Amino acid sequence: MLKNYFKIAIAVLRRRKFFTFISLFGISFTLTILLVLTAFIDKVVGDSYPDAKRDRSLYVTNLQKTNNTGGMSSGALSFYFLDHFAGSLKTPVKVGISSRFSGTNTYVNNKKIAVNYKYTNAAYWDIMEYDFLEGKPYSKQQIDNAEKVAVISEDMKNEYFGDIPSVTGKFIEADNVKYRVIGVVKNVPITSYMTYSDIYLPYTVSKINYKSKGYQGGYIGVLLAASSADVPKMQQEYNQMIARLPLEDKQYTKQTSRAESYISAYVNTGDENKSGVTLVLTVIVVFVFIFMLLPTLNLVNINITRIMERSSEIGVRKAFGASSKTLVYQFIVENIILTLLGGLIGLILSFIVIQLINSENFIANLELSINFTVLGIGLLVCLIFGLISGVYPAWRMSKLNVVTALKAQ
Amino acid sequence: MIKHLFKLIWNKKKQNFLLMSEMLVSFLVIFAVFTLLVYYYNNYKKPMGFAYKDVWVVNYDNELDTKNTDSLNTYYETLRQSLKSMPEIKELSFSSDNTPFSQNTNSGSVFIKNKEVGGVNMYTAEDTYKDVLHMQLLSGRWFNKADAVAKYKPIIINNELKETLFGQGEAVGKLVADYDKKKMRIIGVVQGIKVKGDYAPAGYALYSRTDTGSFRWLGKILINVAPNANAAFEGHLYKTLANFMPSSNIEIEHLTQKRKETNYFAVVPMIVLSIVAFFLVVNVALGLFGVLWYNINKRRGEIGLRRAIGASGQSVSTQLVSESLILATLSLIVGAFFAVQFPLLNVFDLSAGIYLTAIVLAVIFIYLLVLVCSLYPGKQASAILPAVALHEE
Repeated sequence: MLKNYFKIAIAVLRRRKFFTFISLFGISFTLTILLVLTAFIDKVVGDSYPDAKRDRSLYVTNLQKTNNTGGMSSGALSFYFLDHFAGSLKTPVKVGISSRFSGTNTYVNNKKIAVNYKYTNAAYWDIMEYDFLEGKPYSKQQIDNAEKVAVISEDMKNEYFGDIPSVTGKFIEADNVKYRVIGVVKNVPITSYMTYSDIYLPYTVSKINYKSKGYQGGYIGVLLAASSADVPKMQQEYNQMIARLPLEDKQYTKQTSRAESYISAYVNTGDENKSGVTLVLTVIVVFVFIFMLLPTLNLVNINITRIMERSSEIGVRKAFGASSKTLVYQFIVENIILTLLGGLIGLILSFIVIQLINSENFIANLELSINFTVLGIGLLVCLIFGLISGVYPAWRMSKLNVVTALKAQ
Repeated sequence: MIKHLFKLIWNKKKQNFLLMSEMLVSFLVIFAVFTLLVYYYNNYKKPMGFAYKDVWVVNYDNELDTKNTDSLNTYYETLRQSLKSMPEIKELSFSSDNTPFSQNTNSGSVFIKNKEVGGVNMYTAEDTYKDVLHMQLLSGRWFNKADAVAKYKPIIINNELKETLFGQGEAVGKLVADYDKKKMRIIGVVQGIKVKGDYAPAGYALYSRTDTGSFRWLGKILINVAPNANAAFEGHLYKTLANFMPSSNIEIEHLTQKRKETNYFAVVPMIVLSIVAFFLVVNVALGLFGVLWYNINKRRGEIGLRRAIGASGQSVSTQLVSESLILATLSLIVGAFFAVQFPLLNVFDLSAGIYLTAIVLAVIFIYLLVLVCSLYPGKQASAILPAVALHEE
């Protein structure tokens, strides 16, 4: 039976080439945009390099102080806060601390290089799984001795030293200080802003006093639990710690800070009253809805037109005893075949577009790729799409009266 | 004639309903795109208000460990003198963190007769700030040394803020109040400068003069360099700064480069949106074309009959084109009703002119689209020969 439907579908598609083209164009183009969008989101928030242990990590990025008159101060945390308070928690096995990246310059052979640098502690390297192309990260010993050592990114290496095989042991000058290079890591795109940097340095060489006892500063923390089952417990412990935390500033009456999952930390707005996740989701949902509404309407329109064209066929089938259900079923199958065909073309198109985006290097080191998640999402969207645009025309068509259907001819 | 066309449309209301909703949604999408484009264009055609070429920004951290304001001031004055002695540096000014094309904003409110004007960008500037950026003074004057002892804190506002506060009236000499109800005297009005790039509005701006304690928190130096200042000089400048402030992180940025980056972030979404909108329009156009074309094929009998009783080919095609234009009009009326809510409810804080221009452009666009899509099917209909059409029946 299914084979029969398939044959009919192909025959119908070939009979009206122009209409087939319109349908396929609409489906494949819509899917292309959706696939590229999901590939982008998947890469930006789902990329697990270098923080592969995300499922058992919580991120602390923000401390907000508020008072009753509407005053607010919000920002990243101090090294002292993360080391002393977050570091004293029982559940986390490790607490990685790193500064947000900031910029400076260096000048080589009268050429200017912009450098982003980041200070980290030793646990940061244990939690993050950076791919070391050569060398290794700095140890706790080296940090305690405040040794001027640096881990640099591949891009930095190429820009500063040029194309030479090994740079460990060489010196790199940044911010007017010479650091000994002890490792080179694979690049991180700037969109992963919590782990991105050109140069990673021990926090003890920071020019800004890291011993300052204020709560707010330029650092963010990653708490690592022993297993993903311990994460809720860790979150609870962090909340209890924040509740007990003495007020830092008499000007404010309330302090809030959360240890949250990567995604909610990634879109944290810095304001406790505005959830970043809700905001981003709303924007995406509204965009996708409006964006898909138009092609769907278009498809429904075309489908109705095409089905009316086949009223005689419907009339004959109904006259010979086919039920409305069978007919709806047939037309939905036809639609799904058409959609899957469009999905295939869309997949090829999105592959081309993604290659184009990668080769243009719109965002440095952001290599988009069609992975299985995206493919799965694409196919699912494709099917939903086929059903939406197929159900209404099929339902209208099945209501057609046999006599009218046959008479129309 | 029109009444008759309405009747024809009404007879096929179910099918036309879908066509109309498609036109409606297209109108709304096109309206959104045009709103954005008109907004960007409006901002783009306004003058920049300042010269960003040959201006560098130095970022530094203020970590000088002293409680003594005098020694702090001496420290930075020494830095100023040693920088100014370099022949490549024409002028420099210390500034608050919200330098042009930076991500930083510092906004607050201004009060005039208990009326609050919010979203005012607060800048802290020195006497030389205007010359470093080559800003244009529209009336009054810029800060000078005498302002240090003024009774009311002297401020300078831009013309956008002036128009909101005083309309066409004179602003120089007037008093306004800040958040703590402290009075400030306006001593000058400057042309607004587009600090967020070519495609963003200048916004409200209020400049206040640095005072004796300002060096505690200032973190940027704007430097106007001579055109011959090259990377070698920049390296030298960098060393000088880094040696002078050993406990600070130093970064030198160029405003030309910063402007490019800022504009990039405005233009890329615009281009992506336009491409997406373009494909949507092609999609809709193909769909409309297909449906209209099919409808005409289905109405061969009706058209043949009309031709047989004497209607010219011209009038047949006019009828079909007008039918689709009436459909478009109906959906545009509904669409415009929704679109007009944006300026009425003041969503997104854009001026009504932008929305209205966008509505007009979108209406014209949809009409053109429908016209183009129905012209060919209309022409085909006019070529139908009555004998052939009626014979088929």
